[in-house]
Amino acid sequence: MDHLSHRTITQIGKYKLERGDLPPDILLALLRQMLRLRRMEEALIREYHPADEMRCPIHFCIGQEAVPAALSMLIRPTDYMFSHHRSHGYYFAKGAPLKELFAEIYGKETGANGGKAGSQDISHAASRFYSGAILAGAVSIAAGAAFAVQHKRLDSIVVSGFGEAATDEGAFWEVVNFAGLKKLPLVLVCENNRYATFSDQLKRQASDNIYERVRPFGISAVRIFGNDVVQVYQALKSAVDHARTGEGTVLVEAYTYRLNGHVGPEDDSVNNYRSATDIEFWKMNCPIRLLEEVLTQTGELTPAARERMETVIAEEILGHFAFAKANPFPECPDWRRSNWSEASPLADKLLGSAEESQFDHCQADARLEPY
Amino acid sequence: MTRELSYAAAINEAQRQALELNEDVIVLGQLADMPTGIFGTTSGLVDRFGPGRVQDFPVAENLMTATAMGASLVGTRPIIVHQRLDFMIYSLDAIVNWLALWRFKSNGTSNMCITIRAIVGKGWGQGPQHSKSLHAWFAHLPGLRVAMPSTPYDAKGLLLESIFGECPSVFVEGRSLFSMTGAVPENAYRVRFGDAAIRRSGKDITVVALGMMAPQAMRIAAEVAKEGIDTEVIDLRTLAPWDQTKVLDSVSRTRRLLVADPGWRSFGVAAEIIATVCQALHNRLLSPPVRITLPDSHTPMSSALEQQYYPTDQQIIDAVRASLR
Repeated sequence: MDHLSHRTITQIGKYKLERGDLPPDILLALLRQMLRLRRMEEALIREYHPADEMRCPIHFCIGQEAVPAALSMLIRPTDYMFSHHRSHGYYFAKGAPLKELFAEIYGKETGANGGKAGSQDISHAASRFYSGAILAGAVSIAAGAAFAVQHKRLDSIVVSGFGEAATDEGAFWEVVNFAGLKKLPLVLVCENNRYATFSDQLKRQASDNIYERVRPFGISAVRIFGNDVVQVYQALKSAVDHARTGEGTVLVEAYTYRLNGHVGPEDDSVNNYRSATDIEFWKMNCPIRLLEEVLTQTGELTPAARERMETVIAEEILGHFAFAKANPFPECPDWRRSNWSEASPLADKLLGSAEESQFDHCQADARLEPY
Repeated sequence: MTRELSYAAAINEAQRQALELNEDVIVLGQLADMPTGIFGTTSGLVDRFGPGRVQDFPVAENLMTATAMGASLVGTRPIIVHQRLDFMIYSLDAIVNWLALWRFKSNGTSNMCITIRAIVGKGWGQGPQHSKSLHAWFAHLPGLRVAMPSTPYDAKGLLLESIFGECPSVFVEGRSLFSMTGAVPENAYRVRFGDAAIRRSGKDITVVALGMMAPQAMRIAAEVAKEGIDTEVIDLRTLAPWDQTKVLDSVSRTRRLLVADPGWRSFGVAAEIIATVCQALHNRLLSPPVRITLPDSHTPMSSALEQQYYPTDQQIIDAVRASLR
């Protein structure tokens, strides 16, 4: 697809997914992962308001399941992953415990961050997953992790997921420069969903070809139709392999679309920022639907198997809600210790003490050189 | 005979020893690998430890801070260096939105072991973009430790404490102090955060001083002693946390307070210290506490104006006398 652009993407019409050389078990696993994420988000949307127990901004990712599903099958526990505020897909992809995501959103003690972070700032250090809401900031930290992975010659790679809006920020281009220079073991996954909240990329940038713009910095980059999970899987697999074998940084620009509003369960069409034609195109080409059509046609996915999948997923989600609701709210923390570590085990081990002698205070200031 | 080092050499030695003590320590900074080594503070380190552990960095300050953060997550202990604190301001997103709150929002499961060295110019026309000391900004943020050493001894001990601690530390260095020499023990020792130094004991007035104003406070104490004024000088050494116990204990004895802070007056460190003392000892003070600070103005270039801008010994002496009158 040589001319993929949000300007013209609807001209594709009904997309036809090609299964390529992916075996059935991988395809079925991709479908299951996408469905798990979709159903989880739908359930959270349904539950968001009735009791107003989830009292934090949530940026749902319905329609953007292909990238997280593929990543979930390509990365290792020892890899690092960084995400933006639309975090659930990446948290899921890193294999962090979902019940702790639910409990975090409910503000409970057993949440991934004890209720201190919520959906848009969630992290799970043991799973090496981190997120945050100030866009390119997380991409920059990801570059730092990749820098240290390279420095320590570790086998890990670092994956940084972000939207195209992060590339409006100068901080992003500092990463691109440094990653290209150092050939960092970093996979930059740009889910280009076209909108920064409600603002069209083509109102903010002269073109929507981020992948082309990073190439002169020494970064390998591809663009793909991000709702084609087979393409997504293949592109990310080769990106992950590239980074893991020391070949340097790769950027994958996946054109996709969020079907829900920017934040919360509400419809934000009052801003009139996207056309009915566009929405229709993306619904028709939703990543789950595209894969399902192929698998149903070949008989690899029977209605009975599909129903079993749904039942298992529904039970899993009920379990997460039960965990979140049953657990208590956190107690008032010690604010100081929440912000500063009082222990210093390494300093205790490595550093000694010394006597301080009198200092002669009657010395002239340093005479600064012109430089 | 104890060994003497300059303030710059003490900083260099702290980093050298840290690099020796633990292979996870790395140094990143623009020109950190040059022979001149950031005013001598990193000279020779690259020869000893190699370009992997002592690295130049692109002029991308936000990324440098974020790189230190990511690298800390992977188990290194980065020291990053800003030749001018002013350039560090490009990294405010990394510092304010990410670094300071990292431990908090991870619910204590993840710490950032990072030291940010930031050098503040003074004199020789450094002007408004090479001499800002924004220590009060950083001390305002929960989650950061802020050190402001005034002697070679403290510079070494506090830097080692920062590097091997579990909190992100902003280490503010006064460039006017770089040539001052003092006794520096050879071992790798620590100076704790929140532990002020009583540089001089006295009974008439407490002078709390910070950074480059600490030597000045000592000179003034010697001067007013000639007229019988007995000054207690406390060098705060660190701002976050700051040693409230020693300051309150001292003022409860002297019942007079002057704070010498090389920062702007409004909403500054002097105001914070005085507010804390007034809340605790409001009915015991014999005279209104005094703030000696920079004026609420940016730094001028001309040497004639610099002399007007930075508080002079005479101004502080007059303030001490007025406080005792």
